[in-house]
Amino acid sequence: MANQKMIEPDLDFIKEIGVLGGSDLKKCYQCATCSVACPISPDNRPFPRKEMIAASWGLKDRLVGDVDIWLCHNCGDCSVRCPRLAKPGDVLAAIRSYAITEYATPKSLAKMVNDPKKLPVLLAIPAVIFLVLGFILNMFVEPNWLNFSPEGDHIAHHLFFSTWLVDIIFISATIFAVTVFALGIKRFMADMHQNALAEGKTDKEKLEIKGFLQALWRVIPTILRHDKFVECTENNERSTAHMMVLYGFIGLFIVTGIFFVVLYVFGIHGPYSQLNPVKWLANVSGVALVIGSGLMIKKRLDKPEQVSTYKDWALIGLAMALGVSGLLTEMTRLAGAAGLTYFLYFIHLIFVFCLIAYLPYTKLAHLVYRTLAMAYAEYGGRKF
Amino acid sequence: MDKKYGVYICTGCGIGDALDIDTLKGVVEDEGLPVKTHKFLCGKEGIDLIQKDIEDGVNALLIAGCSGRVNCDVFRFEGCVLDRVNLREQVVWSHPRSEFPALTEDQVDDGIHFDRLQMLAEDYMRMGMAKIKRINLPEPYQMEEFSRKLLVIGGGVTGMSAALDAAGAGYDVTLVEKSGELGGYASKMRKQLPIANPYDQLIPPMADTLIQKVEAEPKITIRIGTEVARLAGQPGDYTVTLKKPGERIEFDVPYPLPPEMTVDENGKELDQDTLMERFREYNEGRRDILTIDPNGEKFGAVVLAAGWRSYEPKEDEFAHLGWGTCPDVISNHQFEEMAAKGKVTRPSDGKEAKSVVFIQSPGQGDDKDFEYGGSVLSLVALKHAKYVREDYPDDGKAFIFYQHMRTPGLSENFYKSTQQDPGIFMTKGEVKKVSKNGDSLVVEADDTLLGENVAVRADLVVLALGMVPKTVDEPVVNMAYRQGPAFRDIDLFKGYVDSNFICFPYETQRTGIYAAGPIRRTMTIEESLEDAAGAALKAIQCVECANRGISVHPRSWDMTFPDFFFQRCTQCKRCTQECPFGAIDDDEKGTPKPNPTRCRRCGTCMGACPERIINFADYSIDSIGSMVKAIQVPSEDDYEEPPFRILALVCENDAYPALDIAGLNRFTYSADVRFIPVRCLGSVNVIWIKDALSQGMDGVILLGCKHGDDYQCHMIKGSELADIRVKKIGEALASLALEEERVAQYEVAIDDYDKIPKIINDFVEEIEALGPNPFKGF
Repeated sequence: MANQKMIEPDLDFIKEIGVLGGSDLKKCYQCATCSVACPISPDNRPFPRKEMIAASWGLKDRLVGDVDIWLCHNCGDCSVRCPRLAKPGDVLAAIRSYAITEYATPKSLAKMVNDPKKLPVLLAIPAVIFLVLGFILNMFVEPNWLNFSPEGDHIAHHLFFSTWLVDIIFISATIFAVTVFALGIKRFMADMHQNALAEGKTDKEKLEIKGFLQALWRVIPTILRHDKFVECTENNERSTAHMMVLYGFIGLFIVTGIFFVVLYVFGIHGPYSQLNPVKWLANVSGVALVIGSGLMIKKRLDKPEQVSTYKDWALIGLAMALGVSGLLTEMTRLAGAAGLTYFLYFIHLIFVFCLIAYLPYTKLAHLVYRTLAMAYAEYGGRKF
Repeated sequence: MDKKYGVYICTGCGIGDALDIDTLKGVVEDEGLPVKTHKFLCGKEGIDLIQKDIEDGVNALLIAGCSGRVNCDVFRFEGCVLDRVNLREQVVWSHPRSEFPALTEDQVDDGIHFDRLQMLAEDYMRMGMAKIKRINLPEPYQMEEFSRKLLVIGGGVTGMSAALDAAGAGYDVTLVEKSGELGGYASKMRKQLPIANPYDQLIPPMADTLIQKVEAEPKITIRIGTEVARLAGQPGDYTVTLKKPGERIEFDVPYPLPPEMTVDENGKELDQDTLMERFREYNEGRRDILTIDPNGEKFGAVVLAAGWRSYEPKEDEFAHLGWGTCPDVISNHQFEEMAAKGKVTRPSDGKEAKSVVFIQSPGQGDDKDFEYGGSVLSLVALKHAKYVREDYPDDGKAFIFYQHMRTPGLSENFYKSTQQDPGIFMTKGEVKKVSKNGDSLVVEADDTLLGENVAVRADLVVLALGMVPKTVDEPVVNMAYRQGPAFRDIDLFKGYVDSNFICFPYETQRTGIYAAGPIRRTMTIEESLEDAAGAALKAIQCVECANRGISVHPRSWDMTFPDFFFQRCTQCKRCTQECPFGAIDDDEKGTPKPNPTRCRRCGTCMGACPERIINFADYSIDSIGSMVKAIQVPSEDDYEEPPFRILALVCENDAYPALDIAGLNRFTYSADVRFIPVRCLGSVNVIWIKDALSQGMDGVILLGCKHGDDYQCHMIKGSELADIRVKKIGEALASLALEEERVAQYEVAIDDYDKIPKIINDFVEEIEALGPNPFKGF
């Protein structure tokens, strides 16, 4: 049995892929039309044909560490051309979804994030944290970090939820998310390299940090320009929506960074004037986020043949909720509706918490995994 | 009959433009026959012209115009002898005046020039006239005793279904089943493949329903625990002796002497008396085939549905797959038996078998499936995989390693539904080895769709062993035929009973016996049901044709049959031995005893007979021989350089239509060849070839079907026998100082119409290179 690989199909994996949107997986009859149709699949060991049989045979270990599942941008070219309607694009999406959960810890939280019934609980967690922590700290700090009746006519959200309170919670959440990612990435990178070696998808024997980081640097322009996205023929226009959401998040991230530095270094509190360029960036990014996610919702509703799972809706919904709640908070503030704007700010904070703390478990984790996979492919000479 | 002749020449379709019709009429008038022309003979006016003559007493018609293969319905005149002269496809359409110019005034009768095309047409007129003078209207063969009852052999799904279909059509049926109960294999299954839309789920076995229907049908007599000891006689009048399996009775069918017993120690053929003596010794206790069982039952035709058995591997045949050494390696047949009884378990320890591997191909460097396989075995593997999942829905796994996954037609839906099961795994691949590992097995396979060589742990391994037709083991029908009780040459088809499964399904090489179900190829129950209907209809067709004194197939409605002039028979037994359908028996002296309803009218006996005493009413040694003699062979007395004359004897099943199609496509070939259609090359009597050469013709070409293992001959053996006879005639020619190459046979299929001009022209060139026949002009 020297050259034979012992395989043991994992039935639960197959069933789970079905639940995650790959229920047509078993219809595949291995014609490889998908691999030919895919505009970005490499010539050497092309995907997704091999992923289709591996998935229908329940070979979980071979798939979660497969770099190729992340090279796929789910454009749907393969699914449209599949003669058996096995939807390879959606199957790969399901495998990615499974992989995100697989590399996330703790599993119980990952399961909650993927369970629509647990959504109220997940939303309640930040609400409770803010209130409970606020009340507790109110016993020790003056003025109170959580103040339900800020004095004066000046409306500033930090008078309601102190920036200290917000940042203590968000920095903790960020540290949590980064830690979860770090643990996942460690396993992910090792698995990905091992899988690539086993399947002859890399020309590098060892995974060297320096070379990998250089490759990462090289792929960032590709990602920002959405080069792979636009190669798609079926869903080409999808790249615009994705780009808007991505740039919206980047813009808002930059704005948050500036706020943070200005506050803690110069001690200057917001809100900024509407004439401030930083404010322009914030507003433009917020609008981009709302429009981008709105386009995504429309696309998905227009294409019922494409599978849309809870995870897909959860992420788009979160992006939309973040944008809308943020902009509404700002608008109500400018309108001088103090009670309403404070309430909306609370809602907005809850969504921001969800974004940060649940990041390693949601579909948005592709931000990390796909980037790393694309960098790895660049590093390993996998021409996609 | 007193013949009153009428010759009609159609001048339409370009015939009148290319030929000198007046001269052509002169040829007919020289023979003393009345001739009329019409420019549109197949039109109403033309037909009325002929019809009027018939009213005036004309009853022997020669119609010159289009090929006899077209307008058959138009030129059909009851009670008249009729022949058609093919002036269109094989004369004017295939020989344009641009290439075969007419003579100028100076060239006429100059002793140098001649008009090849006109000569061709004139010869065909002469040949046609010679023929209608020598053929007669056939009279149907009437049987003294006649039975419409059908015998169905085999009480499985196919046999029961055939019996029901025949009974539904109003025929009495006797259903004979060897075992003690009806139902066959289908009644021993857990579940059955789908037989109706949407073809995607297993259904309960239908055998019980069929048994109830058969038992309730008053037209069906059921005989279980019974087999056929002998089937004597011919379609419409079979006498069948039935017996209990294994019983020895005097009407057990005798077997012909094996070839080594028919010769003496020096290898010389024994004389008839010694042969009979040995035959009696060899078959002691059994009555001769011509002795009719007085207690036998009468039948008209037979449906053979004896079915199949599972392939039995030879020792060590599949040793690499653990067959014979690992108790948990079983056949699909054994798997079905186990599944019908209960859950899928391991034979070695009775534990649950939750991981089952189905192997569809034995591998070993070959992608062939197991012998006697086919698409059924793919479907059976899918069915069995479903059993595993039925028994263990949560964690049962079924693997199918195949080289071919064949799910024809709508059974694709069944494949799809099986595929959709998360616990069923399929891949193409070559299985290398099955070995023991602890208390379970490991199956190794190379070149799988998974992109690598894999190994799978298995509790149970199932080999897709094939379905061997019962005719591999025994003759089954036990025909009291001189050629023997079994079907001849079925080893060409691995023992499946069939003559040609594409062109003539159900027809065996024995007229009146129609095969259905897995005895003729592996098939599913659904296919068997359809097969049963087909064979039942074929049997009914046979009975009804026999009753009308006409041929069943492939020459359906042919009323002629071979007529023997026994006074001159030398008892050489060639006709008995060479008949492809075993239609002729012979008595103790070796005198042939024809069985006209077994006959397919190919004329192989006519071609075989050295005494030329076998003829048909409208097709005889004399009718064709006279046509040959009617061909004018110009010599040096006529022209300075006389044209060559070549005779072509053309099989009318494939080669003759191919010639017509060549004409239709305006393909051109030599005008020195004269075609005569024959029923089959097997009917070609060498006397025609000898006559042609002795009257100065330069060569003879035979055009017929492919022969050999993958023969296309409609009469199975005809073209092969012709080939043997032509080779023998070569020796005779050599003794006359004639080159053997002057006689040749070529294989032509119906779609070879584009190649046929080259075949003809090449042969003509070859003959021209040999030079003229030295006997010319004598």
